[in-house]
Amino acid sequence: MKNINLYKGLFILLTISVVGCKKDLLESTPYGQSTSSTFWRNATDATSASNALYSLLGDENGFPHTEQTWDICSDDQWRAGDHGEDQAIEEFTFDASNSQLGYSWSLKYEVISRANAIIINVPKITMDKALQDRILGEAYFMRGLMYWQFYKIYGQVPLITEVNVIANNYNVPKGTIEEVQNRIETDLKKAGDLLLSTNDAANIGRATKGAAWGYLSKLYLYKEDFAKAIEYGNKVISGPYKLANNFGDNFEPETDNNPEMLFNIQRTQGWTEDNYCSWYYAPRPWDGWGFQEPTDDLVSEFEANDKRLGYSIARVGDMFEGGSGGTTREYTAGLNNTGHFFKKYAKWRADGSGINQDLDVPLLRSADIYLVVAEAKIRSAQSGDAEINTVRSRAGLPPVSGAKMPELIHERRVELAGENDRHADLMRWDKKQIIDIVALYKKDRGQWKRPRTFSRPKHYYFPIPQRQIDLSNGVLKQNPNYQ
Amino acid sequence: MKSHFRFKRFIAFVVLVAGFQMATAQNTVTGKVIDQSSGAPLPNVSVTVKGSNRGTNSDASGAYKLILQTGDAILLFSSTGYTQSEVVINSRTKVDVSLVLSNTNLSEVVVVGYGSQSKKDVTGAVSSIKGDQLQNVPVSGATQAIQGRVAGVNVVRNGGSPGSAGSIRIRGTGTINNADPLIVIDGIPAGDLNSVNPNDIASVEILKDASASAIYGTRAANGVVIVTTKRGSFEQPLKVGVNTYTGSSQARKTLDVLDASTLVSLKKERYTNDAIDMNPAWTNSSNLVQRTNWQDELFSNGTTNNIDVSLTGGSAKSSFMLSAGSYDEKGIINNSYFKRYSFRINSDHKVGKKLKIGQSLQLTRSNDNSLNTLSAQDGLIWSAVRFMPFIPVKNSDGTWGSSQSEPNQFGDINNPIYTINTIDASNSNSRLLGNLNAEYEILKGLKFKANLGVDGSHGINKNFNIIIADQTRSRSQNSLGRGFGEGYSLLSEYFLSYSKIFKEKHKIDAVAGYTSQTFDGDNFYASKREFPNEDFSQRYLDAGQSLGGIGGNRSYDALQSGFGRLNYDFDKRYLLTVTFRADGSSKFGAGNKWGYFPAFSAGWRISNEKFFNVSFINDLKLTGGWGQLGNQNVGGLQYLALVGSAGNYAFGNTTVGSTAQSRLPNYFISWETAEMTNIGLSAEMFNRSLQVNVNYFDKTTNDMLLSPPTIGTVGRLSIPDKNVGVLNNKGFEIDLSYKNQIGELSYRIGANASFIENKVIKLFDGNYIGSSIYGRQSQEISRTYEGLPLGIFYGWKTNGLYQTQAEINSDPNLTKDPRRTDGLVSPGDVRFIDINGDGQITEADRTNIGSPQAKMFYGFNTDFNYKSFDLSLFFLGSQGVKIFNADRMQGIDPTYPFNMYAEVAKRWNGANTSNTIPRMSTKRNNLNYRTSDMFVEDGSFLRLKNISFGYTLNESITKKLGIGKTRFYVSGQNVLTFTKYSGLDPELGYVDGNKQLNVDYAQYPQARTFTFGLNVSF
Repeated sequence: MKNINLYKGLFILLTISVVGCKKDLLESTPYGQSTSSTFWRNATDATSASNALYSLLGDENGFPHTEQTWDICSDDQWRAGDHGEDQAIEEFTFDASNSQLGYSWSLKYEVISRANAIIINVPKITMDKALQDRILGEAYFMRGLMYWQFYKIYGQVPLITEVNVIANNYNVPKGTIEEVQNRIETDLKKAGDLLLSTNDAANIGRATKGAAWGYLSKLYLYKEDFAKAIEYGNKVISGPYKLANNFGDNFEPETDNNPEMLFNIQRTQGWTEDNYCSWYYAPRPWDGWGFQEPTDDLVSEFEANDKRLGYSIARVGDMFEGGSGGTTREYTAGLNNTGHFFKKYAKWRADGSGINQDLDVPLLRSADIYLVVAEAKIRSAQSGDAEINTVRSRAGLPPVSGAKMPELIHERRVELAGENDRHADLMRWDKKQIIDIVALYKKDRGQWKRPRTFSRPKHYYFPIPQRQIDLSNGVLKQNPNYQ
Repeated sequence: MKSHFRFKRFIAFVVLVAGFQMATAQNTVTGKVIDQSSGAPLPNVSVTVKGSNRGTNSDASGAYKLILQTGDAILLFSSTGYTQSEVVINSRTKVDVSLVLSNTNLSEVVVVGYGSQSKKDVTGAVSSIKGDQLQNVPVSGATQAIQGRVAGVNVVRNGGSPGSAGSIRIRGTGTINNADPLIVIDGIPAGDLNSVNPNDIASVEILKDASASAIYGTRAANGVVIVTTKRGSFEQPLKVGVNTYTGSSQARKTLDVLDASTLVSLKKERYTNDAIDMNPAWTNSSNLVQRTNWQDELFSNGTTNNIDVSLTGGSAKSSFMLSAGSYDEKGIINNSYFKRYSFRINSDHKVGKKLKIGQSLQLTRSNDNSLNTLSAQDGLIWSAVRFMPFIPVKNSDGTWGSSQSEPNQFGDINNPIYTINTIDASNSNSRLLGNLNAEYEILKGLKFKANLGVDGSHGINKNFNIIIADQTRSRSQNSLGRGFGEGYSLLSEYFLSYSKIFKEKHKIDAVAGYTSQTFDGDNFYASKREFPNEDFSQRYLDAGQSLGGIGGNRSYDALQSGFGRLNYDFDKRYLLTVTFRADGSSKFGAGNKWGYFPAFSAGWRISNEKFFNVSFINDLKLTGGWGQLGNQNVGGLQYLALVGSAGNYAFGNTTVGSTAQSRLPNYFISWETAEMTNIGLSAEMFNRSLQVNVNYFDKTTNDMLLSPPTIGTVGRLSIPDKNVGVLNNKGFEIDLSYKNQIGELSYRIGANASFIENKVIKLFDGNYIGSSIYGRQSQEISRTYEGLPLGIFYGWKTNGLYQTQAEINSDPNLTKDPRRTDGLVSPGDVRFIDINGDGQITEADRTNIGSPQAKMFYGFNTDFNYKSFDLSLFFLGSQGVKIFNADRMQGIDPTYPFNMYAEVAKRWNGANTSNTIPRMSTKRNNLNYRTSDMFVEDGSFLRLKNISFGYTLNESITKKLGIGKTRFYVSGQNVLTFTKYSGLDPELGYVDGNKQLNVDYAQYPQARTFTFGLNVSF
């Protein structure tokens, strides 16, 4: 009896242990995701990866906290908003730990990392050559664009390319200014070769040759290589990138993808992330967050009959769509501190249901390139009148002749008001003593633009975020004058 | 007709039987009385017939024989040291009974993993909480009821919103990752302690050291909490119990803020001080009228209502416990609530002589809504402190008061009362916890046990956001989000246990077995926008016009383990326990899945030695142990290079998805191991009236999984955790308990204290670990460094304010600081200390300004019983702990368009007018309100957590009414709080996992509650 019970017990134990010890019990599967060894199979995968290049652009740290904020340093806008760190940025009293410096650092490197992944993996896929070229072109373009944006802000940054990815070495010292410029140049040139001139309707918003050449010509201008700036600028001017008939077309949801728009951030009601860019610029009581208010100083820069003023900056008394119940409403004095906001970035739906999230965010227009070519010509002792006048006549203004830098500077300020280039332009002109930025910023422009002290050469570039210096454990060195 | 005939027949039968009984009126009953835990026969047990004085005593072999008379129904068995037992005779002639040892602590049985032990034989650190200490405490979850009861166990409350649980920390925070202990409910390692109705709990055992917890291996690095729910007993007459209480709660305090006229004059002073034009918004005289105290409007009386009914009973072969309960709490902020309905059925059965089957089943359903009380942008209490006091709750025309007329001056906050009246968010959770176990006695002493369990939960949530037009934080579009999540965990365990005494002196208990548990989760969500009609009947996804988002996923994890434990007791003097467990986890890659965890402990019952004859010490035991445990409670799949969805974009108007790598892999990721040493001394003295238990422990977590700080050049990929960190907790615990009786007054006093030192030994590459930043100023508050406790406050040191310009000019802290020459420092600004001596105030002058880890936490309770009255008091407290009052940091800052703390009225406005509150200004030139020791406060507190006064009705009255023991009581929770902390509540909890603790975000405070209740049993 005893023995039988013992055997019964052991038998039960045995069967259960055999049944229980499933070999694959401890295998876990990634649901809804793949691993890098199972991705990169075909054209669909490659296209999906190329979409990822763009998906971060509209992130709050992809534009509002970065490109959009740096220009509070200029004389065009007052910071407004409620970001405590902005005061120090605007007044040049910041140090390397100012949180504004770090917001978009890793986002830009994430876009670069996605570009690197495409550059490494897509050439190995068997797929339609034209599509493959376009996708590679997009990767080179976005990498070049990210380094261009880095260059404008910090000057020198670590250069991460596919070589680093393969070696798994991300902690590298900064490149020199020349190396950064060379990287941008190489990438944008390759992009120009591989991309299409224009995209079909299903691909509006992807990079084009015009976008690559446009940024390339700006790079050459910043490098003072005027011949090349003119060469690539002319490629844009002679390409299918004509100015829109109406300046305002660039800033309306229905027409913002016209040929003049070389590159923008696509936004669509619903599926995509919310339109932070619009929210930042719109006044608080009108569904926005009320950042970056234009100054009276900028408004007074416009000539008397300049059509562009009406499309760029709101003034007290202007009427806007979007009132409740489908009415229009008046822009009154208390809506913004300075009494203005940048109309280019915020539109409201006519039925009163809020901000129109279909409005895209302009990053580069061919009008900018016309003025780049004009400047390059003027500064290489040629006439830039033709290009300047193309832009002026679109704005309903009489032509100029014999335009020199003052006229060019004026034209850039009013054509590109609020498009976040002013401070970068002023700094590079100051480097060549074309203007005096210290004196310019020391002026007292009233409560919303007090005198500020710009120190050269320290403030030509922002410091690398202190956190990144700390994390690199000594590999990454801080920018000059910020140590 | 038929039934009438049948009935007659039945009566006749009964009479016949009764007659037969009477004929053999001298009926005899015999039986044996044994000790339930040891099985040993009990001599000299008094066996009497209930309701009479006839009886006998059991003999040396535990046998008894008693002659019955007609009408004898129930036998009473009693013996000193044992709980009296009542048994229904039921016409049996043989009635065997087992008696349970009564309230002598050391004879108690404690539940340890996969078995139970006599408390006197335990060599590890195990603490017990009896169920009656958790009874009728008006809390929504058992986690809160455990707070302060046991040395070494701290419960960190994460705010006081209804249903908010709190986190249990056993012997300090052992890891920067998930430091929650393993919760085992009725043998199932399950997630949620708070789904159990506290009134269903029979006992809670907390395994604190390696030796006790090692049997749970992988998951026990943070300790184990074992919950045993009430069960019926065999041979028990049916008992019905009803518990009900109802209570009301209030906010204990509100923060003092400025009134309208003082606020306006201070706002104006800023412009004067800055020599700029005043904003015309402040000249409006209607803003001088004090209209609303927003905190008073936000807080109102909450209510708590609870009723539960339980039924227990048992026959010779089966016993059961059935309970059902409903708990309903409305919080002190309107529209916050938590409801829980629970049902339980536990039963045990004896099948034949060798097989026992048991089952437990718990069904719970809870509903709550979650208010936003943690955000420094729009948290409810945060907003109520800051909203303008001259704005009315509602305007005379019935519309809600709003700051929309001047958002840049009156604050971009919404009317908090409007917010709580328009919130539509709710979560509901259904939980099933069940197990089926069987125990088969193969041979004498050798048992086979199988345990199958399931822990399933379904959660559904809903969140409807309305269009907000008239408030500053407007919302132009409404939306509805729905989420659903389901999780099932299946457990199967098989083990053998063997128990034998050899040659009288050698006692062996062994257990060995196999367990596996799988965790399957599934979830999806959907959201839609543009609802044309916001009526409640239209708040469903079908009515939305455009799609907002949709997604869903699944997760799977599993554990597989083998374990064994051996207990050896030599002559009741020398005790040894050895445990070993091998665990495999699905969270780690091939080659790293398995971990091995050994532990041992030894004990010496000094009082049983022949040489020991200290008269007043009844029991003295010295124990010591060492062991290794594992923790695998981190994200899974970290050994894979994952590629996943990277967000949407639109080309033209065509929306597309995208894919990118989401994670870098760590092929070598594996367990964290905690290594623990424990030395303990326990004693019972003075006739067992005083019990003392002292423990010293040292716990080091090695291979702590840390996410290395990502250098930005990697992008936003998740960097997997690496096993690199080391964290140490060591300290002392003391548990004391004393009970005595003076005449009719019996009392018991208990106290416990824990002294824990928490120190980070090693981090990744010597770098620090940051935490989430606070508020609109994006300020860093907490960091974790090597050589310091977790989550220290990191900021500047200060030394009062500058009173004159001369002080600024001569200040050595600013000798090389360009801000002085730029005129950015003025009298009335804060004097920061230049720690690194470079003559400037920069980021490098930040340092450790305080630790949120308490040096000591303690509790003490007293119970008094006098005749029919009972009184109990329970205090708990924490000492040597700091709090960072971030809300004050933002609340006295005049550069924001908000109301401010009332103390700002005493600001600096001339030499020597203040040395603590800086001057009014609209500028942030000197950054006076940065993270500094100005906002670090002493967070020590002592709380009268619970006071309860009860009266039990006289038995004669209750007998007449036909009910059993009836007790009325009144009790109070959080009645008194003694603390120097100036904020709403000194218990602030975690904000960013274990990396940020005790930072005041104006969390939902704990309320003061008074309840009135009734317990009745039938």
